[in-house]
Amino acid sequence: MQSYWFGDVGEGRCSPFTGDVNAMVRHILTISTKMDTFTPPDWQQAVSCGFCNDRADYLARLQAVCIAAAEHSVREHYSGKDAELLQMVRTLDEMDTVINLLSERAADWYMVRHPAFSRKYRRTPANILVRTIREKSRGALGRVAGEIEQLGETRTALAREVSARANDVMPNTSALIGGLVAARLMENAGGLLPLSRLPASAIQVLGARTALFAHLKTHTPSPKHGIIFQHRRVHNAPREIRGRVARVLAGKLAIAARLDYFRGIAAPEFLTEAQERIDAAGKGDGA
Amino acid sequence: MIWIGDVLVSRGEGGVYNERMLGGARIWEPYRSKLAALYHVGKGVELESTMRVLYLGAANGTTVSHVADYSEAVYAVEFAPRPMQDLIEVARRRKNVIPIMADATRPETYAPLVEPVDLVYQDVAQPDQAAIALRNCVFLKPCGYLILMLKTRSVDVRKDPGLVFDETIAALKEAGFIVQETVWLAPYHQDHAAIVCTKPKPVKYGE
Repeated sequence: MQSYWFGDVGEGRCSPFTGDVNAMVRHILTISTKMDTFTPPDWQQAVSCGFCNDRADYLARLQAVCIAAAEHSVREHYSGKDAELLQMVRTLDEMDTVINLLSERAADWYMVRHPAFSRKYRRTPANILVRTIREKSRGALGRVAGEIEQLGETRTALAREVSARANDVMPNTSALIGGLVAARLMENAGGLLPLSRLPASAIQVLGARTALFAHLKTHTPSPKHGIIFQHRRVHNAPREIRGRVARVLAGKLAIAARLDYFRGIAAPEFLTEAQERIDAAGKGDGA
Repeated sequence: MIWIGDVLVSRGEGGVYNERMLGGARIWEPYRSKLAALYHVGKGVELESTMRVLYLGAANGTTVSHVADYSEAVYAVEFAPRPMQDLIEVARRRKNVIPIMADATRPETYAPLVEPVDLVYQDVAQPDQAAIALRNCVFLKPCGYLILMLKTRSVDVRKDPGLVFDETIAALKEAGFIVQETVWLAPYHQDHAAIVCTKPKPVKYGE
């Protein structure tokens, strides 16, 4: 016997599926097919079965069911807690790019208006510079600087939200490496499920794509760390042991991501043990 | 295929992706669509209004909409949710597009939906493209066509595209497929090749 979307067919008999579109969507999402004995459905069977009137009717009903099923799957996919976090991180990173670009441009513009102005030996942070530009410039330049400041404020608020959301969605990973970096790792992997499936060695170099491919193609030294470099234990470690810290940290992150995906709540006993191990690696013990 | 001068077009409702129109027909851009590029650099497969097509890797439904203009029905399989939202919109406007959100590497998940087809068209960014195509040829009628758009860089970025190309053709031949045409899609698409082949007739024992 074969189960098709319009009903079951076998031994010269056919029982059409009765039920509305929603029932049908549930039906087609649960049918299991053995491919070695499978024969594709035939629309004429559906007609002789009494399921539909003709070819056009067959297609129309199939399409209605398939559209409903696809919508259902899309909705399902977006219902995960990580789906929105993913968009938030991407927005955050793009805002950074935009703010930097606009700040650079505004500074260049300002230097044309004030030929004696230079940023050398000043150590002025970009946000202070933008404020100065806003206060001292009239017209569009001042307004652009104002907009950059506004964007900066929105960015700060968004970063706080990302961090809070990451603590909720991925408590273990966030506890080890901080909400923002945890969210970036998740973003780079494409979601919490893909991240939880990555081996530690891949998590270690996540975000170091260019270096990794250069290594694979031209045998340059392999990258020691990607996004996880942003963790203080990695970038504060002396150069010689940075690779080791990164490796240990990545190993614990791989476990943390799996805990986050499958358990979804913090696991204190794992976290204390993992922190100790990472600290030990940073001090130089533990190969 | 419908050509106006040297411009490939299809006839159907326009405005799917702001495509340009020519004499009331929709221009099918070879730089955007690999299938259109195939018709420009090679022969391809003549699409007919009676054809049923299984389209793997349907993406946003851009090429799907053109294929649907020519054919009777298109089963469009796509895995990612974001392009699927666009594909559903295309399906709503066309009677003969059946959107299926599924993984083309697992035909058993959509087997109860797909009837026998005259053409399997595959454009997926996966490493095992020949295997995926062969697995999906249970839906293909005997003597039906398989068009495989080979993304050599998805198979292995380190490998020479020419080598990947040869290996894929060998895999298809080993499965009994008869290779009709192989062509690189340059200058329209880099490192992409089209392989057109036909499914063998079933062997009848005792003949």
